[in-house]
Amino acid sequence: MKETWRLIDMRIEDAPTQMAIDEAIAMARLKEGTPNTVRLYRWNPSAVSIGYFQSIEKEVNLPACEEHGVDVIRRITGGGAVYHDYNGEITYSLVAPEADPKMPADILESYKLICGAIVNGLARLGVDAEFKPVNDIDAGGKKISGNAQTRRHGVILQHGTVLVDSDIRRMFQVLRVSDAKISDKLIQAVEDRVTNLRRYLGRQVNFDEARVALIKGFEDIFDVALEPGELTDAETRLVKELYEKYSSREWVFQR
Amino acid sequence: MKRAEYKVPGGKLIAAELGVEGGRLVGVKITGDFFMHPEPAIIELEKAINYTSFEDLEDNVNGFFKDNDVTLFGVEAGDFVKVIKLALEA
Repeated sequence: MKETWRLIDMRIEDAPTQMAIDEAIAMARLKEGTPNTVRLYRWNPSAVSIGYFQSIEKEVNLPACEEHGVDVIRRITGGGAVYHDYNGEITYSLVAPEADPKMPADILESYKLICGAIVNGLARLGVDAEFKPVNDIDAGGKKISGNAQTRRHGVILQHGTVLVDSDIRRMFQVLRVSDAKISDKLIQAVEDRVTNLRRYLGRQVNFDEARVALIKGFEDIFDVALEPGELTDAETRLVKELYEKYSSREWVFQR
Repeated sequence: MKRAEYKVPGGKLIAAELGVEGGRLVGVKITGDFFMHPEPAIIELEKAINYTSFEDLEDNVNGFFKDNDVTLFGVEAGDFVKVIKLALEA
């Protein structure tokens, strides 16, 4: 019989709740004996998430976010800023113990494996995507997914974005791009570096079609059945506590 | 406050913000889109750099990465030294 992992499917929540859920699942995984979990989710309102080490002032156009009702949050994972467009983006997260036999001990290898589930899902939609170390997935030479991993509490938490039909113009209104990045000759104009499912496939892809493909991608790569489930009571309590952290100015503006 | 940023070719962005008091680095803050595991080690790294003299900077940074089990992606230990030196010249 196939191993079963929990699927928490397409919850739509605000930014602090989404980040609190990811961390709560990671905290509860070994302590409470909760199952390995894959989540797919969307952010409402749309939000910018920045990496743990990023400078909020340098990365985010705060007045533009304010103007457009876009939330701003800091993740517990490193990496770059992401615009989570409610109408055009799916985020996934995966939580499994570092000691899980299916998880490589090596961080880069585990990025490759988990991103492989996204690549597999994208292939089902007709997207020829590939993993670009450290943490990107490209399609047709352009980024379609960014990913970030942390290891805490003996657990791997990786989350990432899949661009479905994101408003790329809005994305560059709310994100600031540093001069050093622009002047790096290896980096082309940012607009030319990002794509999404609609642009790549030349057709509208609805969320349901994308989510079904991504679920199958995880099931295939990890050889598991994903069974829809909900947060446990313990996790829900943790989410409430962590919500306070993620919505605090102290956390969001720490760098 | 002095500030500089540096994009590692083929890697990530790293920036440093700092002040100088009596030949020593103060208020050092490192930011960027790199990865450091475990993440809170950045606070320890900043502590290790604060109040060091320019001459000791490289040894202190290298010492930090030697003494602590920290994994980096997108930047290397030397890039922290490099961006701090760039900030000092700014």
